[in-house]
Amino acid sequence: MQFCRAHSLDEALELLGQWGGDGCLLAGGTDVMVQYNSGAITPGAFIHIEGIEPLSAISINGRTTLGALNTHAKLAADGDIASRHPAVARAARLVGGWQTQTVGTVGGNLCNGSPAADLAPPLLIADAHVTLTSLNGERRLPLDDFFIDRRATARRPDELLTLIDLDPVPPRGGEHYVKLGRRGAMDVAIVGLAARLGLGDDGNIAFARVAVCSVTATPRRIREVEAALVGVPLEAGAFAAAGQALVAAVSPIDDARATASYRRRVLPGLLERAVLRCGEDIRP
Amino acid sequence: MTAVGTSVVRSDGEAKVRGDAIFGVDLAVHGMLHARLLRAPVPAGFIRRIDTSRAAASPGVHDVVTGADVRNDRTGIVVSDSPLFAADYITYEGEPIAAVVADTPELAEAAIRKIELEIDETAPVATPEQALSPGSRLVHPAWAEFDIAGGAEFARGGNIAAEILSDPGDIDAAFAGADHVVEDSYRAPRQYQAYLEPKMALATYEAGRYTIQVSHQYPFRIRDRLAQVLDVPKSAIRVVGHHIGGGFGAKLDLGLEPYAAVLARRTGRPIKMVNTASEERLTAPCRDNATVKIRSAVGRDGTILAQDVDVVYDSGAYANNGPALVSIPMFMYGSIYRVGTVRIRSRMAYTNTAPTGAFRGVSGPYLVFAAERHMDHIANELGRDRREYRLASLAADGHKMRNGQALEQLSILREAFDLVEEHVPWAGSGQGQQSNGKLRGIGIAAAVWLTNPAPGQATVKLNEDGTLTVVTAATDSGSGAVFTGLRQIAAECLGLAADQVTITMPDTDVAGFDAGSQGSRTTHVAGRAVLDATTEVRKRVLEKAASMLEAASEDLVIEDGDIHVAGVPDMRVSISQVAMAATFGQGPIVGTGSYTTPPPPHDPACTTGMLFSTWPTPTYHVHYAEVEVDPVTGQVSVERYVIAQEVGRAINPDAIMGQVQGGVAQGLGYALWERMDIEDARYVQRNFETHGLPLACDMPEVEAILMEHPEAAGPYGAKGAAEPPIVPVAAVIANAVSDAIGAPIDTIPITPEAVLEALER
Repeated sequence: MQFCRAHSLDEALELLGQWGGDGCLLAGGTDVMVQYNSGAITPGAFIHIEGIEPLSAISINGRTTLGALNTHAKLAADGDIASRHPAVARAARLVGGWQTQTVGTVGGNLCNGSPAADLAPPLLIADAHVTLTSLNGERRLPLDDFFIDRRATARRPDELLTLIDLDPVPPRGGEHYVKLGRRGAMDVAIVGLAARLGLGDDGNIAFARVAVCSVTATPRRIREVEAALVGVPLEAGAFAAAGQALVAAVSPIDDARATASYRRRVLPGLLERAVLRCGEDIRP
Repeated sequence: MTAVGTSVVRSDGEAKVRGDAIFGVDLAVHGMLHARLLRAPVPAGFIRRIDTSRAAASPGVHDVVTGADVRNDRTGIVVSDSPLFAADYITYEGEPIAAVVADTPELAEAAIRKIELEIDETAPVATPEQALSPGSRLVHPAWAEFDIAGGAEFARGGNIAAEILSDPGDIDAAFAGADHVVEDSYRAPRQYQAYLEPKMALATYEAGRYTIQVSHQYPFRIRDRLAQVLDVPKSAIRVVGHHIGGGFGAKLDLGLEPYAAVLARRTGRPIKMVNTASEERLTAPCRDNATVKIRSAVGRDGTILAQDVDVVYDSGAYANNGPALVSIPMFMYGSIYRVGTVRIRSRMAYTNTAPTGAFRGVSGPYLVFAAERHMDHIANELGRDRREYRLASLAADGHKMRNGQALEQLSILREAFDLVEEHVPWAGSGQGQQSNGKLRGIGIAAAVWLTNPAPGQATVKLNEDGTLTVVTAATDSGSGAVFTGLRQIAAECLGLAADQVTITMPDTDVAGFDAGSQGSRTTHVAGRAVLDATTEVRKRVLEKAASMLEAASEDLVIEDGDIHVAGVPDMRVSISQVAMAATFGQGPIVGTGSYTTPPPPHDPACTTGMLFSTWPTPTYHVHYAEVEVDPVTGQVSVERYVIAQEVGRAINPDAIMGQVQGGVAQGLGYALWERMDIEDARYVQRNFETHGLPLACDMPEVEAILMEHPEAAGPYGAKGAAEPPIVPVAAVIANAVSDAIGAPIDTIPITPEAVLEALER
C-alpha cells in the first residue's frame, strides 16, 4: 500500500487517473481508516487530499457553494451556514463526536456512500448538486442521483467530488434535521430526517421537502411525503396522512442498530417533530 | 482524625493524568519476543487437522505450539474443565487453538494466518434453555471425568455445571392457601466489562522460576492457577503487578499468562502477549446472561407467604467461578423482606459460548432486578403504593437469610428509605404525561450486599525519615482503595499525613497473600491488615520513644510526626529520631498484619453444595430514579438518580463518590444501552460502535447520601463500598420505566423498541 499526498487539485486528479479504482481517497479518514483497519478495504494507494486548500472554501452567490473538504466542525460553526442552512449546521454538530467533526469532511460524508450520512438529508432538501472533476473535465449532477446504493455512488474511480452547491432556506421558510441515535453523541443514526417548509399566505404549508438517511439503502428525498404536506396547517396532529405516506414510501432497513419495524414505528412521530420545529423558525 | 475521612489526593493520579504511568501493555524488556493466539473461528466443532508447518516457516517466527506440544491438562478455579488449547474439539468461538512466537506481534499474526485448520463444525448449544432441554447435545461429553479443583463436592452433571436446590418442603401448602399468586419471568443479557486496557502478560523463565508481569486484579490467583496449569510448585512462580487499565472482575482469573509462561520456557526468551480489542470482546468473562422466574403466594393482607425462585445462568463453555455463584440467590431472596418460606433452585448451564465470569456485583444486578420488579408487581396487584408496600414488608433486625445467617442491622435499610424520602419525597415526584409529551415515572429498589472476606496481609516498615512504607499485594484497579485508602489508614494510625506513606505495587515474592481487588474487600480486609501492622509499628515506636524520653509509653502522645509526653510539650522526640535510634539500636521497626473476615454464624445444613455459604460484612442500599420516556421513539432518559448507601465509615469520601458514580453509570449501561446479544452461539455486537456503552452526556448526576454505621472489625469502621452501587440500578430503572409507561418491563436492556412494543400492548 502506498501513501500519496496530493498538494493541489491537479495533483489529486493525476493520482486518481493513475490509480483509478485501486486508489482510495483519504480526507478526514474517519470512515476510511476504520474500513482499512478492519480489512474491509485493501487499496493499492491512499491519495491524501486533506491539504488542498481551495476545496475548503464556502462561497455565496445566490446558491451556496461548499468545497468538498469543509469539515463538519467548520459547517457547524460558520455564520452563513447557520443562517442559510440551519439543518446542515445542526446535522454537522450531530455527526459522531468532536474528534470526527474536526477532521471529517462533507465530501467524505457523501462519497463514503453510507446509508447513514447525516449531512445528506439536509443537503437533499436544499436541492444540492455535486460537481465531479476528473482529468477529462467536470460534470454536475443532483445529489439525489449521486447516491446509487449502499456504498455505491455515481462517482467514477477517476473522479473527485470537488463542490456541492445548494439553495438557502427561502423567506417564510424553515428547515430542521432530527437525528435518532441511542445515545447523546457518538452514534450512527438509527433514523435521520430533514424537512424544509415554506408557508403560504393562508399560513398552511405551501411547499415541503423531506429527506431521510438510515432508513433506506441510500439517503433520499421522499417526494410522496412532500406532496402530502402541501396545504396542511402547521399544527400538531395535522400530519397523519403525511406520516402514513412516509411509511408507505419506504421499506426500511433492518440492521444491528434497529429493526425495520422500529424504524417504521418512529418515522411518523419524527416527521411531525421535524415539521413543527421548522415552523418555529419561520418568521411571519 | 486527620487522614481518615478526608478526600486526600491519590498518589497515582498525576502520573495517570499526565500519561506517565506504566500499565501492563506498556512493558518492554530486553530480548522480548511476541506471541499471538490462533482462536477458534466457530463456536463448536471437531478439529480434524491442524498443520502449522507453513506458520513455522513464516518470517521472524521462533516457535509454534498446539495442544499436542504442551501439557494441556484440564484445570479450573472450581472444576478442572478448561484445557490450555482446544485440542480435539472446540467449545466456543475464540477458544485458543495454537500460539505463534515471532519477533513482532505483526509477524506472529501473519504466521497465525498460515496455520491450516480443518474443522467439522457441529450445531452449537447456544442457550441455557437449549442446554437444559432433554436430549440436548453435551457441551462436555466427558464432564464426569473432570476433577473438582476446589475439593468440596457439589451437584452437577451433563450440561449443568452446578446446581443448588434449597427446598424447605412446605411451600406448596402456602400456594394452595394464597389469595393471590403472582408469577413473573425476568431476563437479563450478558454484560461486557469494557475496561480500556486489554489483557496482557509478559513472562520470563530463568533458573527454574517463572516471572510473570501483569496488570491484574489478583496476582496471587495467577500464581496459584499457573502452578496448577504448569504443574509446578507455587514458589516457582513470581507475579509482579503494574498499573491496571480497568478490570471490573474480568482480570481475576488466568488470561494470557499461561501461554506466555509456556512459550517463555520453550524459547528461553521473554514473551509478551496483548489481546486485541476484538479478542477481548470475543472472550472476556462477561456477566452471565440469566433467566429468573419468581412465583409468590400472597395473603389477603398483602403478606407474602411463600416464594418459589428458579434461576438459570449461562456459564458458557467452562465453569470458571460459576459453581460458587449459584449460591448467591440464597442471599438475594427472603433476605430483606418477609416473604415466608422460600424454595430456590439455581442452575448454571454449559453452552458453546465464551465462558462467563466475574463482573462487579456478580449475579446481583439481575437477581435484584427480578426481586424488586416482582415487589412492584405484587404491590400493583394488591393496589398498594410500591414504596409503602416495601416498608410494610421489610424484615426487622436479626432477620435470618436462607443460610440461617442473621442480618443484625437490617433496620439500616429503613433509615435508607427515610433518607431518600427526605431528599426527594416519593409522593411529589410528578408522574404521568408531561407538557413536553414525555411520560414520567419513578422507581425505588433496595438491596443488601456483602464485603468479600478473602484474606489479606500487610507489612508496614517505619523508614528512618519518619515515614511509612506499606508492603502489600493488594491491587488498585482504579478505585483508589490502595493508592489512597490503605495509605490513609496507615497514616491515621501513626498520626502522619497520607502523603508520608508510600505503598508498593504487588509482587508475590515480596508481599504476603492478598485476594485481590474484588468484592469491595480491599479497604475492609487489606485495610484491616494494614491497620494491625501499623498498630504494631506504633506500639514499638511508643516503646522506643518512652525509653528515649524516660517516660511511660502510656503517657505519650503522637502528633504531627512528633511524640511528646502528655501535658509536657517540651519533652518531645520526632518519629524520625525514634526510627533512627531504633534502627541502629535494636534494629528497624516493622509491623505485620493478617486478616480474613471470619464467617458469620449460619446453618451449614441449609442446603448442600453451597460453595459460597455466608454473606459477610453486609451493607445496605436504597436507590431511587426518575425517568422520562419519549413515546415517539421509546427512548428513556434518566432525569434524577438518588441513592442512600451504607459504608461503615467513609475513609475517603471523594473516592467513594467516584465508585458510586461509576457503579451507577455501569448499571445504567446494563439497564438501558449495552448490547451483548448472542445468536447461534456468537456475539452479535462485535465492536464498541454497536455495543453502545453510555456516554458522559447520557448520565444523570448521581445524588448520593452516605450512611456511616462503623463496623467494629473494619479499619476505622470501614466496610466495602465500591462494588454495590451497580447492584440495584437495573431494578430501579425498570421499575421507573414500567411506572412511566403503565406496562411491565421484565427484560433488560430496556431498548426503545421494547418500550414502544410495551406501550402498544
